Amino acid sequence: MKVVSLKQLVYFCSFLSSFFIVGCQQQDQQIEKSNSDPSTAYSSKYQLNEDEPPFVIEHATILTGTGKRFDDTSILVEKGRIKLIGKNFYVPPAVTRYDADGQWVTPGLIDVHSHLGVYSSPHIESSEDGNEMSSPNTAEVWAEHSVWTQDPGMPLALAGGVTTFQVLPGSANLFGGRGVTLKNVYARSVYDMKFPNAPQSLKMACGENPKRVYGANGTAPSTRMGNVAGYRNAWVKASDYRQEWDEYYLAVEAGDEIQKPERDIQLDTLAEVLRGNILVHNHCYRAEEMLVMIEVAKEFGYQISAFHHAVEAYKVADILAEQNICSAVWADWWGFKHEAFDHVRENAAMLEKASACAIIHSDSEIGIQHLNQEVAKAMAAGNKSGLDLKPKEVISWITSNAAKAIGIDDQTGTIEENKMADIVIWSENPFSVYAKTNKVFIDGRLVYDREDQKKQPTSDFELGILDPAEGRLR
Amino acid sequence: MKSLLSLGRAKYKLFYHYIGLALVAILTSSVTAKDYLIRNATVYTSGQKGVLNNTDVLISDGFIMEVGRQLKSRPSYEVIDATGKFITPGLINAWTQIGLEEISAAEATVDYQTKNKAHSASFNIAPALNLNSTLIPHNKMNGLTRAIVAPSQGEHIFQGSGAAIVLMAKSEEYIKSNLAQFVRYGSEGAELAGGSRASAYLVLHQALSEADFLRNNRRQFTPGKPHQFSMSLQDLDALAPVLERKNPLVVFANRSSDIKTLIDISKEFKLKLVINGGAEAWMLARELALAEIPVILDPLDNVPSAFESLGVKLEGAAILQKAGVKLLFTNRSSHNAYLVRQSAGNAVAYGVSLEEAIKAMSINVAEVFGIESYGKIELGMHADLVIWDGDPLEITSNAERVFIKGHDQLMTSRATRLRDRFWDLRDIQNKAYKK
Repeated sequence: MKVVSLKQLVYFCSFLSSFFIVGCQQQDQQIEKSNSDPSTAYSSKYQLNEDEPPFVIEHATILTGTGKRFDDTSILVEKGRIKLIGKNFYVPPAVTRYDADGQWVTPGLIDVHSHLGVYSSPHIESSEDGNEMSSPNTAEVWAEHSVWTQDPGMPLALAGGVTTFQVLPGSANLFGGRGVTLKNVYARSVYDMKFPNAPQSLKMACGENPKRVYGANGTAPSTRMGNVAGYRNAWVKASDYRQEWDEYYLAVEAGDEIQKPERDIQLDTLAEVLRGNILVHNHCYRAEEMLVMIEVAKEFGYQISAFHHAVEAYKVADILAEQNICSAVWADWWGFKHEAFDHVRENAAMLEKASACAIIHSDSEIGIQHLNQEVAKAMAAGNKSGLDLKPKEVISWITSNAAKAIGIDDQTGTIEENKMADIVIWSENPFSVYAKTNKVFIDGRLVYDREDQKKQPTSDFELGILDPAEGRLR
Repeated sequence: MKSLLSLGRAKYKLFYHYIGLALVAILTSSVTAKDYLIRNATVYTSGQKGVLNNTDVLISDGFIMEVGRQLKSRPSYEVIDATGKFITPGLINAWTQIGLEEISAAEATVDYQTKNKAHSASFNIAPALNLNSTLIPHNKMNGLTRAIVAPSQGEHIFQGSGAAIVLMAKSEEYIKSNLAQFVRYGSEGAELAGGSRASAYLVLHQALSEADFLRNNRRQFTPGKPHQFSMSLQDLDALAPVLERKNPLVVFANRSSDIKTLIDISKEFKLKLVINGGAEAWMLARELALAEIPVILDPLDNVPSAFESLGVKLEGAAILQKAGVKLLFTNRSSHNAYLVRQSAGNAVAYGVSLEEAIKAMSINVAEVFGIESYGKIELGMHADLVIWDGDPLEITSNAERVFIKGHDQLMTSRATRLRDRFWDLRDIQNKAYKK
């Protein structure tokens, strides 16, 4: 019990110190001073341009991402934020008006599982930067340090309405490393894309991949039980490490002389998970393994934010709902591995039916361009089986639920007043195969316009690549 | 007069087919072919009649016997009201490994390639086909009734010959084997042949030259005796149908310069060339149209995933179609081969006509691979058709009824069985005792 009260004190002190250093940006979250303090190095330098002129989108059919649909409604955007949603408000003459009559509006789409920038196109050996396959525990690596900001997949995803995506390390390892959430904007540096105030994530992987990659070399893990032993061993060390550092910080706050513990960047990542500052994104296909991972999380006191791929989530949808764990799934991928064999087309729909948090993810540079179509298929499969899922509900699978899983739901993922103006205007109901994005806004900035080639970004890589006078796609 | 004549011919043909079908029905003990009258549908015929509104289709003895308005019914017919619904031919995916892989990462279930360097062009996938595969009901109930099954990967640029399968019976009658030779060109071919596209060219050119020589001097060579050819007699023999223009040579290539080279080879050997992949085929749309070279492509794949596919784009399929190139669609998936329909929908979103997109998953494939009596909703064709509850290319539409050779197909798969088991999560302990 003594340890607990000590930790509580640490939370309080470090909360105060963080407050003075960075100004408390995440008021609903305890900010813990830690070795990888985001207020210093590696922080987001993403610039919100508050000078962006205001505009209004008029007469749109709006899916808010909060479960609501508004017809013939307008949105006023000012200083990068959604200022007003309504029907008959006054618009000053100077404000740009986009007539979206017959068009649909959704929040900017969010993909919680992307490898853009770390498995970039074209896929050649030198661009394979997503899987640090040198040890089953590489919690110390950060996907952001691999990101090539000129991956031509990024502008393609933007044309598909994706304004935010989480880049994860691959799944070869038990602990693959830290993921990063990015705004889909052209930038020279990953820090100019890094989503402001978004928590980092830890990619963990269950099942076949780690045991295959390492077992094949005769090293641990070579079985699923070996996988679990690997997680537990690491968490035991991380728990001790966290305690050691917490005690150190406490002593420093109290003015006591104490020797500084030795720094370990692998354990930094895991300790940050235990402190609740890094969210766990766990690649896990099978129902049994998801339930084992819930036990591991229970043993060490962390929360799993989302199971990724989760082909069998429908089997344990009730438990996932109760545990408040999201499932990021495909609409229909199956059969490429044994653990992906028990697929049902109704997976997302059955999660929704159980009031669990369903997310559609891509894990694909093609899929990320058509997340709306993936949702449409998953919705249609559920409805064919007797549910009555509506666009206003399922849009959350690629907006608000996704935002929640990666810890940015207070900032984006819905069309609500004061949220970031991450907005897509669609030619029609986005759950049609014929729907296209007409315009995409990030923080109120028009970053893609189908009608205007000058408003279609081209990565550095694509310049003059086929024709010296043109971009890749003209 | 003309239609009467073709009706007569169809009936004549039917007589033989009837005996065959009856036998198959007994052998497979699947649902017997009844007569069905489908009323009042919008019919995408994939034939000369285009799209027909408020149209009836009569299925009799496994064949399409009549297509028209207000057809006369008989008491023995099962009448299906398809008002507001759509009919297309049963779809075909132009490049799959259905029946050759169950779990892609489980080698014991994968048969689409040979790693035995003693074989190349003679590798014929037909004996490996598993028609009990779970992939078949899954794809079928989602509207795919047929598939081209091709070898994939392998250790030689000549991958071997592929088959066309009907996604129905567990019977070899539904496999048409040895219907095309598949080749890998481009960067993969280059790597296999010696590290350069020029090496791949040499291997391909030499093989075709030798096969041509061999087929004209066949008696001088007997198996087992030494010869100076670069490939085995068996492999060179396997190329004879390609040189005789009986079978197409389907070559995987993406870069426009590679496709250009292949067009030249095709002219030199007078081949029935088909380009598979075709990321940059649109850049040569006119040349391909002039040379009557069809293209198998996934219109949804617009990612420059390799240096040889930098020019790939969503509008590529439409550019090819407008130039007059025959399109065949695939989505490069076996487990979800039926999703070729989604790829086709995207092709339409980016400029391909709806009718042409359906043809690219039916009659075009039948014509290129020589599959008879399939691919159109027309008199005398096998009754392979799907009734859709909405626009057949819309992703939210579902296949409501699927007919293959006149047989009404079960809309059940392993996936639907799992769904049903877990639909209601109460009483979980007893699930194992409920089918």
